[in-house]
Amino acid sequence: MIQLPPINRVLLLAILATATSCTSLNITKYYHRHHYTLDGMAQVYQKAYQTRHFSIEFTDRAFDHVSLEFDTDTLTYIYEFALGEHRMQDSILKYGYDTAAINNLITNMQSMECTWINNLDYYADETRHSLIYISLWPKTFNPPFANKKYYILTYFSQPQYFDAEGTLMTGRRLRRIRKINGETFRKINPKVCYTISAQFR
Amino acid sequence: MTPMPGPLFLSWALPLCLLLSTPAFSSPRNPGSSTREALDYLLQAKLPDSSTWWPNIKRNLFTANLKANLLAPLAMYQGTNTNFCGYAALSYLPLHDDPLAYIRFMLTLYTDGHATWGAVHFNPSPAIHTAAGTLRFKGILDIRPADQLWFLSLADHFRGYLNFFFPRFHPGSEDTFWAAVNYGKFNRMIHDLFGYNVRAKGSDLIRPNIPDLFDYLSDCLHTGLTYLYVNNTYLHKKNHNKFKGSFPTHFIVLDAIRKIPAEPDMVDIIYWDYGGRTLRQVSLRFLKKITFGVTVCTPPHSQPLSP
Repeated sequence: MIQLPPINRVLLLAILATATSCTSLNITKYYHRHHYTLDGMAQVYQKAYQTRHFSIEFTDRAFDHVSLEFDTDTLTYIYEFALGEHRMQDSILKYGYDTAAINNLITNMQSMECTWINNLDYYADETRHSLIYISLWPKTFNPPFANKKYYILTYFSQPQYFDAEGTLMTGRRLRRIRKINGETFRKINPKVCYTISAQFR
Repeated sequence: MTPMPGPLFLSWALPLCLLLSTPAFSSPRNPGSSTREALDYLLQAKLPDSSTWWPNIKRNLFTANLKANLLAPLAMYQGTNTNFCGYAALSYLPLHDDPLAYIRFMLTLYTDGHATWGAVHFNPSPAIHTAAGTLRFKGILDIRPADQLWFLSLADHFRGYLNFFFPRFHPGSEDTFWAAVNYGKFNRMIHDLFGYNVRAKGSDLIRPNIPDLFDYLSDCLHTGLTYLYVNNTYLHKKNHNKFKGSFPTHFIVLDAIRKIPAEPDMVDIIYWDYGGRTLRQVSLRFLKKITFGVTVCTPPHSQPLSP
């Protein structure tokens, strides 16, 4: 065991603390680097969601436990599975969901360290619109002992309005910041926005 | 978080078939009026095109909202990130048991700007009159002005110790402690407004001592409408933080609880919140951990509940 003088130990700790606190991710770069996978996930989810409503959550840091929410007319069923469990496939089939789509999403969510994918309704001029809400929980983004932070990506079905700084607004004329799930979002492209949040949903 | 369930098929199929084919509650709650009566009353009501009391409420959205609440009471939604869950939960009672009283009250409040329900007279402050109809980015609550009016009026009228530092409404107060509901206030609202007999066990800080939670909750469900006061940071997890507050934050309506065969510690619970019913498998240990209060409500004309 190497014995360091006290001053060096303090220095080492300071370096480690600085390194971990600076570990962050540029979400715009991250999106551009992985946009094929991320956009693909959004497309697969949107198509599958149109048939039957559901959402997927990874419940742990190792990304090996998944919680599926099956929304039916009368009830929302929430079940948690370990990846690879046979009964997960049985359950997906039992409720009449597209197993290929859900398995594809789970695989891609795991590889992208995505903890939650869902459809969210929002209202503009008394009309309902939908967006796809994707929460990313990259390992590089979370220093130990700190509260967790998530990158949220929102996929809109049509181009949105932004101000000069790229903040999501309610409309071209009505200059008001549009909040989604209580958060302010910024532009990645006209249909995709991001924010950093303390909550994944 | 939610423990892993075991083999599921037996535990799903039979109980769920039974559940979906029978009424939600087996408790002896007799409705004071019917949905039909309430709808007729609403359709025959002559409302002004706009209300001077509620300048930001459009009549067509208001009546559409009331109609939706009557036809689909389970769909009442508290709004995203608001503290209206207590008010949404207590609305379950009038919408199911006395929808006519609910409609009469709402129409009077809309027309006259003030109204009385039971022994409680509501005279919302000017800030509430202005705010109702303007809440935005709350999901479907954006287009539900009657629900906005209802939640805001309740929060404005009923005050508890959690609201002490937030005495007046300001834009955005719906997300703050101004709208929060502590356990005593929740039970008081149900008793004072609807006259129901309320049996409550629990508190805002300490979990109730219930040795056999399954038997206790099963008994409650047979007695009356059962509310649970729970720590929602575990039930509806929103982050993966290791350290979570150990206090209750949410009211849900317990609809059913059933043991899962071959897994003595696991139960299916069905509950209502956020505009819908959810079935979830949890361990009794987990349920005990998150439950801070159990409230049972029976109608005014029934026998008072024993403590």
